Amino acid sequence: MKRLYYGLGKRKFAEWILLAVFVLFFYGPLFNMLTLSFAGKYEYPDVIPQTYGLKWWDYILSKGQMLESITTSLLLAVVVTVISLLICLPAAYAIARYQFKGRSFVRLSFLLTNAFPKMGIYTAMAVIFYKLNLIGTFTGVVLVHVVNTMMFMVWIPSGAFRTVHIQQEESARDAGASALQVFFKITMPMAWPGIVVASLYTFLGSMEEAQGSLLIGLPNIHTMPSELYGIIMSFPDTAGAVFAVILLIPSVLLLIVFRKYLSAEALSSGFKM
Amino acid sequence: MKQKRQKTWTPYAMVLPAFAVMMLVVVLPIINTILQSFKTADGTFTMANYQYFFTSKEAFQSLIFTAIEAFSTMILAIIFSFLLALYLRFSKSKISKLIGRLYLLPRFIPGIVAVYAVMNIIKDSGFINRFLQLFGIVYKPGLLYDIKGIILCNLWFNIPFSAMLLSAALSAVADSYVESARDAGCSYWKIFQKIIWPLVYKDVIVAATFILMGQIGAFTIPYLTGPNNPKMLGILLYQQVNTYLDYQKAAALSVLMFLLCLGGAVVYIKSNMKEEVWEKGR
Repeated sequence: MKRLYYGLGKRKFAEWILLAVFVLFFYGPLFNMLTLSFAGKYEYPDVIPQTYGLKWWDYILSKGQMLESITTSLLLAVVVTVISLLICLPAAYAIARYQFKGRSFVRLSFLLTNAFPKMGIYTAMAVIFYKLNLIGTFTGVVLVHVVNTMMFMVWIPSGAFRTVHIQQEESARDAGASALQVFFKITMPMAWPGIVVASLYTFLGSMEEAQGSLLIGLPNIHTMPSELYGIIMSFPDTAGAVFAVILLIPSVLLLIVFRKYLSAEALSSGFKM
Repeated sequence: MKQKRQKTWTPYAMVLPAFAVMMLVVVLPIINTILQSFKTADGTFTMANYQYFFTSKEAFQSLIFTAIEAFSTMILAIIFSFLLALYLRFSKSKISKLIGRLYLLPRFIPGIVAVYAVMNIIKDSGFINRFLQLFGIVYKPGLLYDIKGIILCNLWFNIPFSAMLLSAALSAVADSYVESARDAGCSYWKIFQKIIWPLVYKDVIVAATFILMGQIGAFTIPYLTGPNNPKMLGILLYQQVNTYLDYQKAAALSVLMFLLCLGGAVVYIKSNMKEEVWEKGR
């Protein structure tokens, strides 16, 4: 330790300590979980499993209801993202481009689901959804997920549309392009990074949403996070680890694929009006 | 004339679908909740639902517990994330670049997965306990099913979240500002106070209010890692609905929690509105 300290110099040494603490705190738990998911024999005082294997993967993948929840979750995330794009992008564009009465109010209204206690909003929804026979339906859960991430879907693309100069749109119009052509050929490609980030928020938000799916979706709709609640409570750690790792895969894949769009600036634009 | 007409209703038509969904799926239920909270189960007007929570010892304990948890999480998360963001902004070493790449991931890890992963580390028969046994130390961390467990899990999410907001804000601090201030003989503290803080304090407020508002209605983390008693407000609400099936009381509690959050929302909106005025002047 002493040798390291003098060898690296005070500053470098401190940086390495910081890196170690950072990695241990944020990635240690995930790495531990990944190890557990491939455990064979793992008994109480073992720090790491004694033997490894795919035993628990077979176990989880042989359960019909769990497999079903994986398909449900993925399908849900896709449907939610598409619907969200369809209804939110026009709103985002209007907020970015037009000055109209009530603009700030409309923009602010999307803060609602993120500023107020989720549990309160979900129970409020559950009461109404019950009357409308939306409890336990796919549509009901889609609605919950859509409103959950609307703030990102409106605010981030809206910021992105604002950076596209109106002159660029106008010159395309002058050259004879229709309004829709202008949007898809000029505006959308330029606002693309913002739209990608917003879609990621929506897709991953839908993948991880647990409380709303639990309250609105049960007993018919089982998503992966709502299944995981039960698994954590009543299954061995190793089985839970497998299922948690499966739930992790889409997030990690998407983040790697879209990593060039993910800067702190782009991501935090969703939290500012 | 026709052209102008079209212009005036176009934005409304574009905003309508999203706005309508928000109104029907969120606002309408909330209004219904407010009405329900003043009613008994058979529909007559009453204040009893509110009285219950104002006189209930359990509810009061939950409120205090939630407040302690929320403020501890907020303060710790802001301090650590501020230090992290400053380091990421001003250090140009390889380690800083590496952390800069790694710290965004936790924001996108499904909440319940991360909680589960952290639980396996900190529980009494978890990794810490097992690891220390290698050295013959029998140590039970006592973190799980305790306020410390809730705070720890929340830090796991909120440090990266607020570091993200703050490093975006810190990118507005140009190197040249800091260098010229150094040349003029400013101390690091003065630079922080006079140059960095004015540029980022709004984002500190945004991060702090989002963390606080998130804690008031938090469910997943306290449900899995918190103690049975006292419990956080989100759990108390869940119980009113799921265990006692008392929708009127649940409605009253929701309204009270909305009011708590409203404070945060107002601070957030105010600090954002100022920015807009400033932008207009540009």
